[in-house]
Amino acid sequence: MTSSNNTAQSVELTTTEKVAFSLKKRHRKERNFRWAGKLAVSFGFLLVVILLTDIFLKARPAFHQNWVTIEIDYRAEWLGVDSAEAVAQGEGNYRSVLRKSLYQMFPEVKNRRAKRELAKIVSTNAEFAIQDFLKENPENIGKSTQVRVRLDDDIDSYLKDEPELGSIGPRINERQAKWIQRLVEDGRVEKLWNTEFFSNGDSRDPELAGVKGALTGTLLTMLVTLILSFPLGVAAALYLEEFAPRNRWTDIIEVNINNLAAVPSIIFGLLGLAVIINMFGLPRSAPLVGGIVLTLMTLPTIIIASRASIKAVPPSIREAALGLGASKMQTAFGHVLPMAMPGILTGTIIGMAQALGETAPLLMIGMVAFIVDVPGGVTDAATVLPVQIYLWADSPERAFLAKTSAAILVLLSFLLVMNSCAALLRKKFEKN
Amino acid sequence: MSSSTLIFAILFLALFSYWFGIQKAVKVAGGLGKVKHLASLPRQFGMLTGFWCGIPALLVLLIWSVFEANVVESLLISTLPEQVQNLPGSELGLYLNDIKVMAGSGIVSLDGLADDKLVTAQAVNYYIQTNQNASWLKTALIIVIALASVAYVVSRFSLDFRARNQLESIIRWILMASSAIAVLTTLGIVLSVLFESIQFFSSVPPWEFLFGTQWSPQIAMRSDQVAGSGAFGAVPLFAGTLLITLIAMTISVPVGLMTAIYLSQYASAKMRSFAKPMLEILAGVPTVVYGFFAALTVAPFIRDAGEWMGLSVASESALAAGIVMGVMIIPFVSSLSDDAINAVPTPLKEGSLGMGATPSETIKLVLLPAAIPGIVGAILLAVSRAIGETMIVVMAAGMAANLTANPLESVTTVTVQIVTLLTGDQEFDTPKTLAAFALGLMLFITTLALNIIALKVVRKYREQYD
Amino acid sequence: MIDLSSSESLVSDEIKIKETVGDIFADDAKMSMRNVNVFYDEKQAIKNVSLDLARNQVTALIGPSGCGKSTFLRCLNRMNDTIPICRVEGELKLEGDNIYAKNLDPVLLRARVGMVFQKPNPFPKSIYDNVAYGPKIHGLATNKAELDEIVVSSLQKAGLFNEVKDRLEAPGTGLSGGQQQRLCIARTIAVSPEVILMDEPASALDPIATAVIEELIDELKEKYTIAIVTHSMQQAARVSQTTAYFHMGQLVEMGKTDQIFTNPTHELTENYITGRFG
Repeated sequence: MTSSNNTAQSVELTTTEKVAFSLKKRHRKERNFRWAGKLAVSFGFLLVVILLTDIFLKARPAFHQNWVTIEIDYRAEWLGVDSAEAVAQGEGNYRSVLRKSLYQMFPEVKNRRAKRELAKIVSTNAEFAIQDFLKENPENIGKSTQVRVRLDDDIDSYLKDEPELGSIGPRINERQAKWIQRLVEDGRVEKLWNTEFFSNGDSRDPELAGVKGALTGTLLTMLVTLILSFPLGVAAALYLEEFAPRNRWTDIIEVNINNLAAVPSIIFGLLGLAVIINMFGLPRSAPLVGGIVLTLMTLPTIIIASRASIKAVPPSIREAALGLGASKMQTAFGHVLPMAMPGILTGTIIGMAQALGETAPLLMIGMVAFIVDVPGGVTDAATVLPVQIYLWADSPERAFLAKTSAAILVLLSFLLVMNSCAALLRKKFEKN
Repeated sequence: MSSSTLIFAILFLALFSYWFGIQKAVKVAGGLGKVKHLASLPRQFGMLTGFWCGIPALLVLLIWSVFEANVVESLLISTLPEQVQNLPGSELGLYLNDIKVMAGSGIVSLDGLADDKLVTAQAVNYYIQTNQNASWLKTALIIVIALASVAYVVSRFSLDFRARNQLESIIRWILMASSAIAVLTTLGIVLSVLFESIQFFSSVPPWEFLFGTQWSPQIAMRSDQVAGSGAFGAVPLFAGTLLITLIAMTISVPVGLMTAIYLSQYASAKMRSFAKPMLEILAGVPTVVYGFFAALTVAPFIRDAGEWMGLSVASESALAAGIVMGVMIIPFVSSLSDDAINAVPTPLKEGSLGMGATPSETIKLVLLPAAIPGIVGAILLAVSRAIGETMIVVMAAGMAANLTANPLESVTTVTVQIVTLLTGDQEFDTPKTLAAFALGLMLFITTLALNIIALKVVRKYREQYD
Repeated sequence: MIDLSSSESLVSDEIKIKETVGDIFADDAKMSMRNVNVFYDEKQAIKNVSLDLARNQVTALIGPSGCGKSTFLRCLNRMNDTIPICRVEGELKLEGDNIYAKNLDPVLLRARVGMVFQKPNPFPKSIYDNVAYGPKIHGLATNKAELDEIVVSSLQKAGLFNEVKDRLEAPGTGLSGGQQQRLCIARTIAVSPEVILMDEPASALDPIATAVIEELIDELKEKYTIAIVTHSMQQAARVSQTTAYFHMGQLVEMGKTDQIFTNPTHELTENYITGRFG
């Protein structure tokens, strides 16, 4: 007894010693592992910060626009007309008025090349701006007056870089730099809020391009998606949870839903192109088709979320309703569905947020065309915000970089609002 | 009437039928006071009538819309002179397209037209006329059907008519049809992609497509050049897709997994409540935004960094697209791995800790081995995601089909080529557009297989611990 | 599991438990705990408990569900550290060393104080790797032969060797419930701990497997100090030398097992022993 106790004692001691021997190394490994974890989390955090800051910084110039006030001489011989009626009817050579007014401001500009460069410092839209001005103020015919017009996007970008005045910049030569310097020193250049970003459609000229067309297109597409996917998704979920018999057919449906949720979105675009456009003959580029494609894509998300929510309704509710003599249908619609609604709505919002950011399938069905007009209905040609971002990101003009980033910010804020709604709804739902 | 107006008309009629059905039911009962003698509530009679009005009419409208364009077109072709009818498919298509475009600006005057112009002008007028007739016929047919079915169902109303049971079985059918849409979608995908692919493979042999190493669809686009051999070899695309996926996985798997481990095993509740929404932001950013980030921030950065180190880096390098795609997939990997790790029963973890294992030893030796099937499933799903991802590669990867394993060079992917081949206006049915569907088929098969395997692995694993 | 009728009477119990009756001291204490309080956030789970674990003896902790006996057991190798909201106060000593001291490594402590859990929890590894797990992480074996020896002797001590000697590479999860629990015991003793804590080790097992485990516990006390939480009074009576009765987070009575079961001092203990509640 004593001897066995002794050996036990000695083994115990050596165990502790043995453990203690490697302890330092093990704790170091533990610390390293923990650091690796922290590093991974910080990596994700860092990326979010970089991504958002990068876009914010790039977007900043898009919210302002530089304007220049020019002395416009609505001289009848330049304009070609001299009556208010003619002006009201849209007659008159405003391009000539604009150019000659500019040359008047810089009388030293003589040769043709320099003149062309001078004309380029204002936006291509300036001639329409001075036309509109005259239409509203016809008393200025034949007179000289101050009119504010947009600067060209290259000049605009140059000024936003806050250069040393008079120095050359990207796409700005020495001559132009000198003119700009004079305009700035004369106090003719102003930086104003670019509200037109939200009120204009797309344009080839970055200083005129806005997101209204894309926003309207997005709104219409989302409307179609919501109208189709919400009732269909809820109906399918209700059927699968409350009515479907457990058989092969139901199994097939379930497997299908799970797989569809993971099919690449571009495949849905191929489906839309081959079936909805080529077979059913629906118009290309239309929000209707976009909405249908996005419906098919988001349905699995909504169905899965709705099913989970319906499943979470306690069976006692069903039993109570059935016990009172309600039919299965009345129980499902009158008792189960209302209780599951918050979860279903959360799922729907998440599905819609997914659809809102989707681009690839919409490229397939032609929503990628350059469309200036704001769409008026679900069958008009339209584009959506993500596709607009894609199109602008591809444009070579430097000013489009800012526009793209600004459009991304608009898109992200929509997503933020939607996801916050979903999160709030979920929180409220979880509390009950 | 246009289809959308018709839909509103049908809905209005259905609403009216609802009211009408209630009135009829009350009448059958013999007045409002005797409603309780009916086998069902008047409201249920009303709803049944509404459904009877709306559903057949909507179905007919749907079927009509599907076939209208084709029927009108074949009618149009049958009136055309023989030499036009005998034109080859694509030229006939162009001819018909011209007619449709011209029809958009209204009836053409036939006065003083030369013979060839006359034929076209007549065809245009015929097309407009037929479309108008079809539209009238459709409207009339649908209204007749709606009214007839209302009349039929109302004629069956009696005191013991079980409106509720009928109503419920109709609703049940509607619910079932809704759930069948998932199957129809899959079927639609398979059939459309398969059909176009078979057409493609009739002009380009499958083995050339699958094993050819030359990809230049632009050449085969010209009409005088039949789809030549070697122009549709998709191997460079598969290789490019694989390369970018690989880069994405080398980023997302370690980072995603470590994030999941740290958040589930080490982080405090406070840290979790901060980090989870942050991951959700990464997951919620649309892919087009990642594409923008990859093309305009990461790619130039990598190129400059490469130049600084004396390496030549393509401006649309596989590395840039791959890295950003990896970032996009991090939250996906981490949330699925989190599920897998959390599914490991706590007693296993406690058993290891109770023996004096450190947390990291417990994670590496017990938790991860136990969660490995779930993690493998997560990685498979992530790979499927990366393969199918489109916008990042469209914006940040190249168009040139280089067969290379160098991540600093530019490669193209399956999805990039699908987008390139199908965007812009071009004739359908050329090998070029059909090739996009063949690529789509490959993509669908690959991702489907990955998903099925992944879901099976994950399900088996869940059963193990349930 | 406390039903409503008994919880009503608990209000008056608070008054009855003023201090522990019986003898909390052991002549040769392996571990000694003084004034232990445990909190989950604001809720107090253990109230001022003091007791000793006698060397090479089996001490049984009994009491109704939720009385805190498992919580107390988990304090003895700092398993409660893994629950963030749990806070332990008081003096807990192993061979005179404070186990909650800042400089004491929980890894080292848990190597000295092993634990067997309620539900058999073999790792999803082979039988061999399950037993070799502890020695491997702690670096107890310098070579394969030593490791083999530890595994075989541990399995022998746990009375499992003869049943599994032909399939050491088979997964541990494939064994029967009783075998799994003995595997977990083998896994624990492979580290050569000084104390073994057992948290209702037989509650998930059938009577035959339970009998085997109880026999094993009886043999193990020759080498180890054992504390066992149990639901079954018969089991406590069969395997333990000392019994501590817990009620609502307090230690009501402690003493020699025969005395507790034949002649309890406290009214609550008597009620429990005689089966009035539990």
